[in-house]
Amino acid sequence: MSKKLIPTKNLSDEQLEGCEGLGLQALGIDAERGGAVSSSRRQFIRNVGGVSAASMMGAAALMTHSDQAQAKSTWAEWFQGNYRLMTKKEKAEAIARLEKRYSEEYGKKVTVDGTDAQEGVLFGYALNIQKCIGCRRCVKACVKENNQSRSKEQEMEWIRVLKMEKGEFSKDKMDDGYPLDYGVQVGGNAYSAAGVVLEGEHYYDPEKVPESDSHYMPIACMQCEKPPCVKVCPIRTTYREPDGPVVIDYNWCIGCRMCIGACPYWARRFNWGEPHLPKEEMNPKTHYLGNRPRMKGVVEKCTFCLQRTRHGRYPACVEVCPVGARKFGNLLDPESEVRRILDRKRVFRLKAEANTYPKFFYFVD
Amino acid sequence: MNKFIKFIIDYVVYVAKGGPKFYAWMGFLVLFVGPWIYGSYTQATHGLIVTGLTDQVSWGLYLANFVFLVGVAAGAVTVVFPAYVYHHEPMHKVTVLGEMLAVAAVIMCLLFVFMHLGRPDRAWHMIPYLGVLNFPSSMLTWDVLVLSVYLILNLVGGFYFLYKKYVDEPLNNKFYLPIIFIAIVWAISIHTVTAFFINTMPARPMWHHSMMPIRFITTAFAAGPALIIVCFLIIRQNTKLWIEDSVIDLLSTIIIFCLGIALFLTMSEVVTELYASTEHSFALKYLMFGKHGLHDLVPWFWTSVVGMVLGFILLLVPRIRKNYTVLPYICLMIFGGVWIEKGMALMIPGSIPTPIGEFSLYEPTTLELFNCAGNWAIGFIVLTILLKGAIGILLGDVRYAPASANR
Amino acid sequence: MVNNMIIRENTIMKMYPLSVILATLLFVQTPAAFSEEEKKCFESREGASLAIPKEIEKGWPNVKCSPDTGGVLWWGDPFDGTIPMGEMPIEADYSKGEAVVKPRENQLKLFAICGVGCHNGVFPPFPKDKNPRKLTMHTDIIPDSLDLQHGRGGIWCLDCHHMTKRKKLVDNFGNEISFNEPQKLCGKCHGPIYRDWREGIHGKRIGGWASNGKKRWYVCTECHNPHDVQQGDLNSGFAQLKPEQAPVLPKGLKNTDHERIHKHH
Repeated sequence: MSKKLIPTKNLSDEQLEGCEGLGLQALGIDAERGGAVSSSRRQFIRNVGGVSAASMMGAAALMTHSDQAQAKSTWAEWFQGNYRLMTKKEKAEAIARLEKRYSEEYGKKVTVDGTDAQEGVLFGYALNIQKCIGCRRCVKACVKENNQSRSKEQEMEWIRVLKMEKGEFSKDKMDDGYPLDYGVQVGGNAYSAAGVVLEGEHYYDPEKVPESDSHYMPIACMQCEKPPCVKVCPIRTTYREPDGPVVIDYNWCIGCRMCIGACPYWARRFNWGEPHLPKEEMNPKTHYLGNRPRMKGVVEKCTFCLQRTRHGRYPACVEVCPVGARKFGNLLDPESEVRRILDRKRVFRLKAEANTYPKFFYFVD
Repeated sequence: MNKFIKFIIDYVVYVAKGGPKFYAWMGFLVLFVGPWIYGSYTQATHGLIVTGLTDQVSWGLYLANFVFLVGVAAGAVTVVFPAYVYHHEPMHKVTVLGEMLAVAAVIMCLLFVFMHLGRPDRAWHMIPYLGVLNFPSSMLTWDVLVLSVYLILNLVGGFYFLYKKYVDEPLNNKFYLPIIFIAIVWAISIHTVTAFFINTMPARPMWHHSMMPIRFITTAFAAGPALIIVCFLIIRQNTKLWIEDSVIDLLSTIIIFCLGIALFLTMSEVVTELYASTEHSFALKYLMFGKHGLHDLVPWFWTSVVGMVLGFILLLVPRIRKNYTVLPYICLMIFGGVWIEKGMALMIPGSIPTPIGEFSLYEPTTLELFNCAGNWAIGFIVLTILLKGAIGILLGDVRYAPASANR
Repeated sequence: MVNNMIIRENTIMKMYPLSVILATLLFVQTPAAFSEEEKKCFESREGASLAIPKEIEKGWPNVKCSPDTGGVLWWGDPFDGTIPMGEMPIEADYSKGEAVVKPRENQLKLFAICGVGCHNGVFPPFPKDKNPRKLTMHTDIIPDSLDLQHGRGGIWCLDCHHMTKRKKLVDNFGNEISFNEPQKLCGKCHGPIYRDWREGIHGKRIGGWASNGKKRWYVCTECHNPHDVQQGDLNSGFAQLKPEQAPVLPKGLKNTDHERIHKHH
């Protein structure tokens, strides 16, 4: 049975190497429910749009785009529906629109992939917390891959690495703790952070890592099976894909930031201003639900590098980790690296008490 | 239909005319609209980057004011409830003023929500049938629904009453009373939902306790009547509409009870959190005493405590409570205290530390303050207009006269 | 045979200083090659595998490197410069997919003269015993040969290195092992780690995630330095690296002092 679940044929070398997947032809999913409903709804929006108050707001927002071509496609984008509820045709249109706009904006051929989840695949991640040396290469790799904003004013990083103290115990600390005047009985020596606690340093910047008194813990989206962020989203713009990642339709997000409030892992980031993504650094191979360039006022987060993983490639952070602490694979495949780790190693989920069931596991040797 | 058009014309004409005090007040409010236009435009074009918000503290002043104003809107029920449930006659006469306050407060809420959104141009995604509402999962969806319905209930209830008064026809109680009673329950619901909206997030331990809804309601029923008392006293002084002492006294009694319970709940929370002093108490400690050398919120918290506690103690003394020269100042003190307690002192520390333990600061920018002040000013402009029109009708200054008779 | 060796050693000893001078001269020349190396970026650890950035299609490089640390930050082509991994004695994952490695053998900085002049099986003189001794050469790689931590004094150079073929490692039976597959050597002692590595739990792989996909496997020495296994006091299998830049501080914060105050009450 397990054999069937392993995606064998689909992962040819060409796909792995090229990771091309423009994906228009790969858009195939079963006809969405109520395609007619959603298109008639859109028709309705188009009809009333000209006079509705909402469209006045849109007009105000769009007037800032001086470039005519860009404004045109943005209008069409503005009227598009929730990606998940679009028909195949609508999805293809939306993608073509974006490819055109991005290609113009970034001065190169940009592809927007719409590849859907493969059957029999559930992505999972495992991170060897014992191995991590805190070098932050995963953080920067993620930025390179996923087209985040990069400027002093608006720097966006989806992975945060925490430096944690191993704990320091010494004779001269025996009297640390509460002042005795409080009349409270407390300890002294061990009265400091030690081990895996979320009281780390986020901005550590030593000459070299790892430091002998510290260990490190990277945190990013856990792709929860029961994601609180999805539950609180008022307009269903963020949802769980069938192969596991929690994604966002950036064109449908209203920027209310409920999801940021609800996430126990602080995995979501917001585009406070227009993202700053230099043309030459832009990664032109994108996915609609993944790393395509975002606009101001919307939320974004890790998607397990959908644009890569749906074509068989490891996520960017896995490939760049110099110590091989990051492991990724198909949770439905007993032969996969993650499944082997789950079998063999002691794993834990961060904040398991939140009952969010992450598909991101930490483990130790 | 003619009658209705006449109603609108008469209403507008009456509202637009006023004495020097009225124009001075409106002029004062309009002063804030200039910076508001500048601030809103800058925010609309550049995005929320012009605010002091960060990924660490992503909910700030806008949402803080929103939460507080939902309370004020709900607080209007302290006028409606005694009037219709306890048949408090003097209160009954001025019920419509409470409804007007609710309308103005909800409008302010909407302004603040729009300011808070990263993509206000896409707000239509939340309109049922046009967009996709995540119902019943999302608390924000619930909030949008209950607030819109509350706005409609008060608009319909209030203006139906005023219109009937205007044309001098008896109210159709089969239509009117259900609206009133639904609105009473609805007022509770809007603030309950607003509390659920933040306390259903275990990721933010400071908010994640079941006391939140009742605390919201009690503080709302302190801040709401406090504002209403101030309005009523101003109306008494500046218009021919006489609002009975018993109305003011009943409202101040409601404040005492609700503020007392609110303070008790705050104390309970402080003891519960600080005694055990788990990681979940960090936000409260950050608020009360500062943490890791960051103590921006500490003065806010203690100002709020002083405002509420002092206000409460003063109100307990009948001689002070019934002194209508001092009373409005006490009310403003309580109003300010609750505003901080539910705003800066609740919304901001909820985000500090972040769920993964990062401490940071939140400093609203000048633009953000412009926008907040502007929203309040616009709200008060709306409130002044609504109250003035309502008073005119209540006094009989504005009433239907058939066209022929008028000429 | 032993006698023979000693005799030879004696005669060759006289030539020894000469060859050292020769070798030193050769090394002096090497800095010329360094300017070329600046364009390369290191993969896992400094001094091991390197990647040379180049455009493989328009706007699509094989790797992107960090301007701050010189490390590889992003792989456009995970199989850049790789060759098939070759056979492994014990069947492993790769038998289902395709495994490639980045060859090291062809990168070894050994000059032709080394094999002839120094390590020709006759020269340098074969030590009398396996006891630690101060090395005359190669102190750049093994700074403290008298206190080699690998094996805690239990092993010596020729337990791993081939006696005569300096581009080869050696197994327990004296058979040569390619530098491209040091796992065959390391696995001799580090059994459990070797097993984890074979199954993809330990170590690093890039390319395709599927268990039957094509992967580039990183071999032991691409991450670990066998001559410095615990990095002194650090007691870590990894050499220290310069970290990438810290995140930008959020608005309102001027410094990170607050992070270092760890007095919790």
